[in-house]
Amino acid sequence: MKRNTVVLGLVLVILAVFAWAGWANYEYRKQAAEKRLASAATAELVPSAGDPQATLTPMVGKPAPPFSLENLAGKKVSLDDYKGKAVLINFWATWCGPCKVETPWLVELRNQYAPKGFEILGISAEGDDLAPGDKEGWAHDKAAIGDFVQRMHMPYPVLIDGDSLAKPYGGLDAMPTSFFVDRTGKVVAATMGITSKSDIEANIQKALQSGS
Amino acid sequence: MLVGLTGLGQVQETEKAGRTSAKAEAVQYLYPEQLSVPAGKSTAVALHFRIKQGLHINAHQPKDEYLIPTVLSIPDSSGVRLESASYPAGTEFVLPVDPSTKLIVYTGEFAIEARIVARPGDHMVEAKLRYQACDNDACLPPKTITVPIDVVGK
Repeated sequence: MKRNTVVLGLVLVILAVFAWAGWANYEYRKQAAEKRLASAATAELVPSAGDPQATLTPMVGKPAPPFSLENLAGKKVSLDDYKGKAVLINFWATWCGPCKVETPWLVELRNQYAPKGFEILGISAEGDDLAPGDKEGWAHDKAAIGDFVQRMHMPYPVLIDGDSLAKPYGGLDAMPTSFFVDRTGKVVAATMGITSKSDIEANIQKALQSGS
Repeated sequence: MLVGLTGLGQVQETEKAGRTSAKAEAVQYLYPEQLSVPAGKSTAVALHFRIKQGLHINAHQPKDEYLIPTVLSIPDSSGVRLESASYPAGTEFVLPVDPSTKLIVYTGEFAIEARIVARPGDHMVEAKLRYQACDNDACLPPKTITVPIDVVGK
C-alpha cells in the first residue's frame, strides 16, 4: 500500500512536470509569435536602406523589358526609341506625394545630363481601381496627369497606362519606382520609394558610365 | 506536453493568418457589424476603422488637390441611405524627405460619424471606403474596401 502510494505520487509529480514544461513551452512560443506578429504588422512599403528590394533586385543586370506606350498626345513611344542613351524609367502617379517631391529633382537632373546622352521616361501608373468601362473616371485621370505635367514643367516624355507594365517591371506595388538603364538597354539600378536627389544623380551617372 | 503542442499549433495558425491579412489591406473595418435602427428615421452611427501601423491615409480633406480623399459611400440599392458623413479632421504629417511638404492624414484608428436612414427590414449593407495609403517614402495605389454592416430597420 505504502509502495503504491509512493509510485502514484511519483507518477503525479512526473505528470505535473510534463504539464508545466508544456505550458511554459506554449507561453514562450506564444510570446515569440506575438513579437513576430507585431513586427509583421508594422507595414513598410519600402525596405529599409541597404536591404535588397526583393521584387526589383532580380531585374538589375538584365535587359529592361521592352514596351511601347502612348504619350499624352496619343503617340506611341517605345523604349527602343532611346537605344544608345542612358534612360531613367520613372513610374509615378498624380496621387503620390513622394513623386511630387522628387519631380523637380528629376527635371533638374534631366536638364543637367541630357547633353551627355540621358533621358527620362516618366510613366504614369495611376493604379486606379476604376472599372475598365468607367470612361469618365479614366478621362479624369488623363486630365489630372496632363495638368500635373504642365504644372511641374516636366520636359521629358510622359507616357500613360504604366499599370500595363506591372508584370514585367516587378509588380509596381508602390510609387515612385525607378529603373536606371544604360546605353545598351541593361538595368543598372532600381529603386522603390523616394531616396534623395544625390542618390538619383549617382544612379544616373552609373547608367551613363555603364556600357559606354 | 499535449497541451503545449496543441497550443503551438494555434499560435502558428494565428501568425499565418495575421501575415496574410496584413498584406491584404492597409485599412481594416472594425465595427459595428450589426445595427438596429428605427426605420425611416435618420440615425447616427460611428464606423470604426484601423490603419496598419507605419502607414497613413489622406484625410477627407487633404491639403493637395491631387491627393485622393478618404470617402465613405453606401450603394443606392442597399435599402439604407447615407444621409451625411462627418469625418475626423486628421493630423498634420510632414514627409521626412521634404519638411516643406505637409499633409493632413489619418493614422491608427479613426471613426466616421455617419447618419443613415434605413427602410424597414433586414439589409446586408456593403458600404464602401475609398482611400489611398502611403508610408514615409512611397505610396500604394488607391483602394476601395467593402464595409459590411447588417442593418435592421424596425
